[in-house]
Amino acid sequence: MDKTFRLVLFLFALFSVSLIGVVVYALQNLRRAQQATQWVEHTHAFMAEVNAALAANRSAEGALHAYLLSESPRQETAFRQAFAQLGEHLEVAKALAEAEGLPTTDLAAFETALIARADRARELLAAHRAGDHESVRETLNREPETTEAEITALAQRITTSQQELLRERDRASFLRDLRATHALYLTAGINLLVLITGGWFIRDNLRTRSREAALLARTNEELEERVKERTAEIAGKNQLLRMENLESRWKTQAVDHQLRYNNLIIASVRTPIAVITRALNISRVNPAMERLSAQTVTELVDRPLAELVELVPGSESSAGLDVIAAALRAGQDLVDHPALLHRPGRPDRKIQLSLFPLRDSDHIVGGVITLYAPPD
Amino acid sequence: MKPTILTIDDEDVILRMLYEFLEIQGYTVLAAHSPREAKEVMADHTIDLIITDLQLENSDGLELVEEIRQLNPDIPVVLLTGVWFDEHTIDAKLSHKISAYHNKTAPLNELGVSVARLLAKSSE
Repeated sequence: MDKTFRLVLFLFALFSVSLIGVVVYALQNLRRAQQATQWVEHTHAFMAEVNAALAANRSAEGALHAYLLSESPRQETAFRQAFAQLGEHLEVAKALAEAEGLPTTDLAAFETALIARADRARELLAAHRAGDHESVRETLNREPETTEAEITALAQRITTSQQELLRERDRASFLRDLRATHALYLTAGINLLVLITGGWFIRDNLRTRSREAALLARTNEELEERVKERTAEIAGKNQLLRMENLESRWKTQAVDHQLRYNNLIIASVRTPIAVITRALNISRVNPAMERLSAQTVTELVDRPLAELVELVPGSESSAGLDVIAAALRAGQDLVDHPALLHRPGRPDRKIQLSLFPLRDSDHIVGGVITLYAPPD
Repeated sequence: MKPTILTIDDEDVILRMLYEFLEIQGYTVLAAHSPREAKEVMADHTIDLIITDLQLENSDGLELVEEIRQLNPDIPVVLLTGVWFDEHTIDAKLSHKISAYHNKTAPLNELGVSVARLLAKSSE
């Protein structure tokens, strides 16, 4: 795994973690917002119920007083309904306070005051039904345990405290929203940075790979070109070598051919021929010499010429083969010199010997002896 | 198309070397050991040049050349032999029968030059 790939993988992981974090954070905020909304709605409902309870109390007491004066059944119905609504509003307010964990001290005082007012109303109603008008008047003139102004102030205090709580909640929500906004911007910025960085690395890596691929292709082309040139060079040299080898073999066969051809010529000559060295030893003979001397080539070659022929005594020279040696040294031909040919198991035969020195450039390298045997 | 050369020699080693040499030079090479084989080859192929030995088994190369000349007077014939001829003999006896003479002791390269020259001349 190369470095760039590891880096891109790391950036992708960072991006993913960041994204997951933002999603979790957003979900938490959403849940909190829902809770806050519910709390606000319940708080407003709570305040409305308190105010409604206060209004119901006033309405109930007003209807009660009107009933005491008029004994109107409609007023009786009105105060009974108002007191019933007062009880319902108080129960709902208590339930909301308990559900949302609102402060209940003032609410308890408010409830106690309202209960006291209700007890007073029951006392008035009982005295009125008993026909004790004196007692009714006394009760009405007596200062109640909790005045209307005190009940209103309690309700106002509850409302004010709830409004304060609402403002605190608003501030907290605002700060939370601000933090969420900052977190979102920060995360978006980080993600954008990560994407840009990843993109830059990928682009850089792609460019590098592209450059490397182009370089590789160029190198391959150059290599192929060099291989072609080298192959052509080797093929050329190989062909040259083949030609040189062929020329060499051709020369060898030409020499062999010429040698074979020359041997054929020598072998076909009817005149007995022997080739001698400068030391007067036989180095080569032809078949005619074999026939005349009655010896094979194996018996003749490498033997001294003196064992094969002997110059006739009394002729120009009687000193063995000195005449031949002298002619060889001088490079002179010796023609038809009388001589005797020694033949094993047979009598010597009179012959005429001729010598032709062999010259290689300016040097005498040996000689050719030809024999002529006159008919017996 | 590559020129086709017919080589005639009774020695295998000569035919093999000529084949190798002429094939390197870029020619199509056909070989015959005798005049009879040569005539068979010529009957089946179009020959651009003939290289023949003088001394063939049971025959004479010059006789074969004369027969070839009767059939195709324009075909170049190179005489390649181990027999030495002096210039006078070549001029007097051979020049009207053959296109070129080469001794077998001469380098192959000279034969190649001669073959190329004759083929170029015949294609003009």
